[in-house]
Amino acid sequence: MPQPEVVDPREPVAAPLRDSEGAPLPLAMQAKNVSMWYGTKRAINDLSMDMPAKAVTAIIGPSGCGKSTFIRALNRMHELVPHARIEGSVFLDGQDLYASNMDSAIVRRRVGMVFQKSNPFPTMSIGDNVVVGLRLNGVHDRKFLNERLEQSLRMAALWDEVKDDLQKSGTSLSGGQQQRLCIARALAVEPEVLLMDEPCSALDPIATAKIEELIQELKTRFTIVIVTHNMQQAGRVSDFTAFFYMGRLIEIGSTTKVFTNPTEKQTEDYITGRFG
Amino acid sequence: MVIPKHILGTFDEALTSLRKDLLMMAGLSERSLDRALKGLLQRDDDLCANAIADDEEIDQLEKQIDKDGFEILLRFQPVASDLRRVISAIKLSPNIERVGDQATNIAKRARKLNQHPPLPEVQLIVPMQAHAMSMFKDSINAYVRENVELANSVCGRDKQLDEMNRHANRKLTERMIEDVEQLQGYFNLILVSRALERVGDHAQNIAEDAVYAAAAEDIRHKGAAVSV
Repeated sequence: MPQPEVVDPREPVAAPLRDSEGAPLPLAMQAKNVSMWYGTKRAINDLSMDMPAKAVTAIIGPSGCGKSTFIRALNRMHELVPHARIEGSVFLDGQDLYASNMDSAIVRRRVGMVFQKSNPFPTMSIGDNVVVGLRLNGVHDRKFLNERLEQSLRMAALWDEVKDDLQKSGTSLSGGQQQRLCIARALAVEPEVLLMDEPCSALDPIATAKIEELIQELKTRFTIVIVTHNMQQAGRVSDFTAFFYMGRLIEIGSTTKVFTNPTEKQTEDYITGRFG
Repeated sequence: MVIPKHILGTFDEALTSLRKDLLMMAGLSERSLDRALKGLLQRDDDLCANAIADDEEIDQLEKQIDKDGFEILLRFQPVASDLRRVISAIKLSPNIERVGDQATNIAKRARKLNQHPPLPEVQLIVPMQAHAMSMFKDSINAYVRENVELANSVCGRDKQLDEMNRHANRKLTERMIEDVEQLQGYFNLILVSRALERVGDHAQNIAEDAVYAAAAEDIRHKGAAVSV
């Protein structure tokens, strides 16, 4: 059996990203020569990209450019889509997530995901929604679950709002609260990376601001990759911005650089609204 | 290079309007400076009066550019080259307005000088006038044409103007001691010289902003150059 590929997480697979002082950044995830197909339609084309640890990387680009497809590849979620296929490698802390001995359930525990539309389990209480992942992983110690429940809701900045209503249905909450409940659910299993696919697109500005504030707090503990159509949001929350176009990575760099002086003309034309 | 239009036509219209106001302001300031200096050298009070009258419109344009710039930031949230253009316009306009103020100062001093017999030392102003005017014109051209090389050359010329100002000050101070009768006249020429030196400083500021607008490079206070 071939040995799974391992990369040094200190060695970038693409052009190295640097911090404001020019030092190379520690990397959490690396996508190397990733191509993806839905049936015969190619959605991602030989894409390599590094995602720095404990930082927010935003992925922007026009509809159909492959943003959501790509982040689904980061936790093997695309495998749930019929006829979806991938080539290339995705590394988490140097380990290939597509190695034959890698369990997809473990991958999804280590790389959590929050979707565009909040999706709490409708038949479960707020509390059960948060700890469902732990229960599915065989954890039944009530004291531990209660501790993790409070810890996760606090991290998701929701504890104070729901602590007296933990038995109520998750769907009884407002849209913004439901989205933070989904974030708490993703955090409960202590992932290393949190993927967010347009997490605020269905929320009002107040709920959006709360999620954005939360992202700033979470990035001190987790690596975050966020797909967003809202460029102002990418500017507000992210440390790095990647621009995708037609399944390719056109440019990635510090968010300040990309939004002030992008290197590629395609990026400039897209972010300034000249794309035609 | 042809810059493609924005998908949002109103964004293009707002940027074009901002640019037009800035060019109008620069044109008026240049004309005002030219009239003030001609008023001085040709001893023409009407030209001085015209230079002073232009200042009101220049001031109004400065306020208009601030208002339009803020509105573009608010309504369109520009990024990349668009953001740099708007920020530069907002930063450029006070410098252009101050060139207009210097023209007014020169015109006021010229009117005072014109009330007395001509001083031959006014010739000290002639090379400074040419130098300051060319710096100002080139700084605006550099911004309009996004010409980084021209902008850098403007910055390099400011030291010469400073030296001319020092030279004129030395000569005029000497004359003040030698010819006390004309003390007020020499003092007015010193103030004209200083106004032209300030025009050079504003031209340098404009050129620095032109470099930022064109190349996203901050060349102010060289030695600690920052590029994003």
